[in-house]
Amino acid sequence: MSAHQTSTMEKEVATLEKGALCCSWNYCGQRLAVGFVDGSVSIHDNLDSASSCSSKWKAHASSINNIVWLPPEFGDAIACISADGSMSLWEEVEDDTQPLKWKMCKLFESSNVTVLDLQFGVYSTSLKMVVAYSDGHVKVYELLDPLELNKWQLQAEFQNVIDSVLRFGKPSCAKASIAWNPRRGESQQSSFVLGFNSDLPQFNSSKIWEFEEDHQRWLPVAELALPGDKGDRVHAVAWAPNIGRPYEVIAVATCKGIAIWHVGLNPESDGRLSTEKVALLSGHDGEVWQLEWDVSGLTLASTGADGMVRLWQSNVNGVWHEEAALECNGMQQ
Amino acid sequence: MPGLASDPGDSLVPFLPDVRDPVVYPVRHGVNPPIFRVYVSWTRGNFLQVACLRPPAAEPAGGEEDGVSDEEIGGKVVEVKLGAGDEEISEAQRRRIAYGSVPAFALLQSRKNSLAAMSRMSASSIRTEWWEHVLEYSRHISDLLGNPMLPSSTVIEDPKMIMQPHEEPTTLKAAWQLMEIFYVDKLSSTWLPERLVDWLADYDSLLTETTIHSKVEGLQKRLSSLKVVVEDDPEYWEGMSGALAAGWLDAVVKLLRLHGSYQLEQLGSRETENGLVEAVAVLVSTMPRMRPHLPAGRLGQCYKTKPDFIKAWEKWRLHISRLDSSTFWVQCSHHQTREGLRNLLQIMLGNISNLRAATCHWMELFISHFLYIRPLTMGLDEFHSLAQKCMQLKSSSSSNGLMGLFIGILGENPEVVLAECSKTLGPWMVAHAMELLTVDNGHADILLHEERYSLGDISIEELHRLVYAQVLSSHPLTWQIAPTYLASCPKQGLGLLEILLYKQPVQHYQMILKNLEICRLYELENISSSIMKIAGTYHWKHGRKGSGVYWLQQARDEVRLNKIAQQLFECIGKSISDDSFKQWEGLIELLGSQVGTAGGLEFLHKYRDFKRSLQQVQDGSPVDAARQTMESLMQLMKNSSTPQRFWLPLLHDSVKLLNWKAQPLLTVSETNLLLNKLQELSMVKLHPDFCESNLPPQALSSVRLALATNLGRAVLEEC
Repeated sequence: MSAHQTSTMEKEVATLEKGALCCSWNYCGQRLAVGFVDGSVSIHDNLDSASSCSSKWKAHASSINNIVWLPPEFGDAIACISADGSMSLWEEVEDDTQPLKWKMCKLFESSNVTVLDLQFGVYSTSLKMVVAYSDGHVKVYELLDPLELNKWQLQAEFQNVIDSVLRFGKPSCAKASIAWNPRRGESQQSSFVLGFNSDLPQFNSSKIWEFEEDHQRWLPVAELALPGDKGDRVHAVAWAPNIGRPYEVIAVATCKGIAIWHVGLNPESDGRLSTEKVALLSGHDGEVWQLEWDVSGLTLASTGADGMVRLWQSNVNGVWHEEAALECNGMQQ
Repeated sequence: MPGLASDPGDSLVPFLPDVRDPVVYPVRHGVNPPIFRVYVSWTRGNFLQVACLRPPAAEPAGGEEDGVSDEEIGGKVVEVKLGAGDEEISEAQRRRIAYGSVPAFALLQSRKNSLAAMSRMSASSIRTEWWEHVLEYSRHISDLLGNPMLPSSTVIEDPKMIMQPHEEPTTLKAAWQLMEIFYVDKLSSTWLPERLVDWLADYDSLLTETTIHSKVEGLQKRLSSLKVVVEDDPEYWEGMSGALAAGWLDAVVKLLRLHGSYQLEQLGSRETENGLVEAVAVLVSTMPRMRPHLPAGRLGQCYKTKPDFIKAWEKWRLHISRLDSSTFWVQCSHHQTREGLRNLLQIMLGNISNLRAATCHWMELFISHFLYIRPLTMGLDEFHSLAQKCMQLKSSSSSNGLMGLFIGILGENPEVVLAECSKTLGPWMVAHAMELLTVDNGHADILLHEERYSLGDISIEELHRLVYAQVLSSHPLTWQIAPTYLASCPKQGLGLLEILLYKQPVQHYQMILKNLEICRLYELENISSSIMKIAGTYHWKHGRKGSGVYWLQQARDEVRLNKIAQQLFECIGKSISDDSFKQWEGLIELLGSQVGTAGGLEFLHKYRDFKRSLQQVQDGSPVDAARQTMESLMQLMKNSSTPQRFWLPLLHDSVKLLNWKAQPLLTVSETNLLLNKLQELSMVKLHPDFCESNLPPQALSSVRLALATNLGRAVLEEC
């Protein structure tokens, strides 16, 4: 029994300028930020009606590889990751002295490592930013003043490995994927899942990191890989919204396919969360680019190098299957 | 290659080979291949936005070479609507149904809750009451799905108008009616076969392309356009036999009366023929029907009890047999009339081969059984086996969702019923029909209400309500009714509602108010505070400081309000002239009006007075101004609403006055009070939460020195 009845009807909402490299939607899906190969960024507004490009500016000297919106409690703001390894935060502001414009709040420069991915998480009132670097390091920053996006404090720095005592070589990471636990609320511990695509197997597997208040440190509480798959390079991760399930659902895409994991809500006696791989979905020929859960966490959308958008659902017996696919490669007008 | 769900090896879920291949839909985005990257986002409800980007090729050296316009775009973003459903119903009509069904659904849920609370009543009386509620609900929804036919008495009878024109039937209503007949309408369970005859009369045209309905309709068109001798036309007899097989007796009688033998000039020569036609018409119109009543204009004689009906039916069949074997047929010279009428008699006698020839679809053959062969058929298993038999006899009939639903109902298979509802009729139908399915069916009740771990501990019923609410939230016009359905989901409804509320845009005041009202109704304080914070930050950052502060106050967001107070303090410190103060005045007014714990900034008024007189002193005004400034300072320092973090900047501003050459401006007690405050500040400075102001590092010591000096001079003065 499928939850969605799938037939489609499409409507064009925006045309992107030449050189567009990446794009990202804001929390309500009405604004789209587009990153370009020449280092500029443009914002499209009113995606639900007549879309228009409201502003475009040069954010970096090199191309923009990724754009991430900040949570809306912190204004209309984006983080841009540039190919040169640096990243910058921009916010839209307007006051009596200046008209509406996008203003840079903060530039995180890099010397020899590059930023691969970053994601924001809101816990009680504070904003946290996890940044994954090409040397396999992870940094967690905290915003000090909720109205000023330039004041960040480094809260922690660690490597994406289970055993932090062992010394590993220096990995070279091509890609990282981070997803915060989307559940909001005062009582919730901060946690996120992170996987790498690197040349050192120990760094690759997706691990769930949780902030331990007592010792003010981040601990790995689960590893989302079966023993034989731990070195698999991770292409994408996505943490499903949980509107009341007694377990979390996380999707992890590796070269072997998209794995669906059930993760326990509470730690077991050893402090770890129970994990169960409930499905391995194959379909994309080649790399998976993006994983995106819908609001209810019932449907997973994936995009991949085969130019398809695939929609995955579980039936009432818990069997995951591909419900529908959208073909984007076709030659049509 | 189609995607497959594969077994992860150690998973508990076995690989099921019967998982069907996914449907592949081309997205018409208008970007020429190759596609370099595809991005997706679930924007509203179940709308998916898809961005297709072209490879960002390096700028061609020559600039504009081929100048193909397509090369100028970097990609397109399209919004894909999933689960669009059948095109039978327009968007506006769909919304009308969505809005119209809310009150009935909500009423039924509240009745369910109050019945559940009344445990003292006997189970059977609760069941009866519940069943009556569901029937009322079903009737309400049914009316919503389409208006009943116009009564024929309102139009002037046209003898050639065989079928009354009425609203185009919809599959949605046909399906709803079927479910009502079988699951809810117990009162008519004794005359179920006749209910199905009525159902077919309304919805025959939906079965397939060629139906009895389409034939009769075709015949009607021919009759109105052609001046032919009807009885010579084979379609006349064909249409009539179909109408009779389906039980449309009024149409049959009307058609018979169009027979040429009724023409005045022919009556004499075709007396016997006309007698036979009329005899058949009388038999048709006096057919006994096992039902309490007939709608106006419909023919037949109603019998409420089984013995009465059987007696009448046997008598009626005897008349038919007698007519069939009478000698008058020999005297009927018109071949088509003779054969046509005798075919009608055979249909009425329940001759299966005549019925089979007269019907197009197995459903029509099935219904004709109730009229002419087994009018007393009862029980779903009998219906089911009869349906199977008819399907074999009419194996060429195409199958559609409606028939799938019908077979599911007859097979007592709620899974099939739900799957067909979901596949053919969409999420609205599933969410609403669930109540009909479970009203008196223990199996369906367990199936739909059992909590399933694989669904995240929710039931199938809840799952489908969540899905429907998600569809509603896709459109700004229907999003407002989604909460009603989510509130009826015991486990995950409010969780989804929170996410949906959080994702609403905050630019419009009215929309925020509506969303906050929903939060209040369902006691979602956390999310209402998030909405107000988002709105507050949005307005603050977009130059609407007043709105920003208003919403942050509503959210009781002390952290942000304190930061704003700090910013304002610094602004006023810098701008003493009245003009620039005016821009802040309204804001300070606003902040001061609701003091509470969060951001009471009334002291900023006094601070303004203080700054103004300080300015006068600096402009070289007399000692009065200096005194007045110090009075303002004392008021500010004594006032408990002045936040501690502003003490030092205030004192630092006043150093010049503390060192006033002509005379000390503060008394001993006043100076002591300020020294105490300064002492307090030094203690606070040791606290880890202390927030350093932008003053020079020696500010504290210079203030202390000035105060000490002033104290000495004041002591001397007061001696």
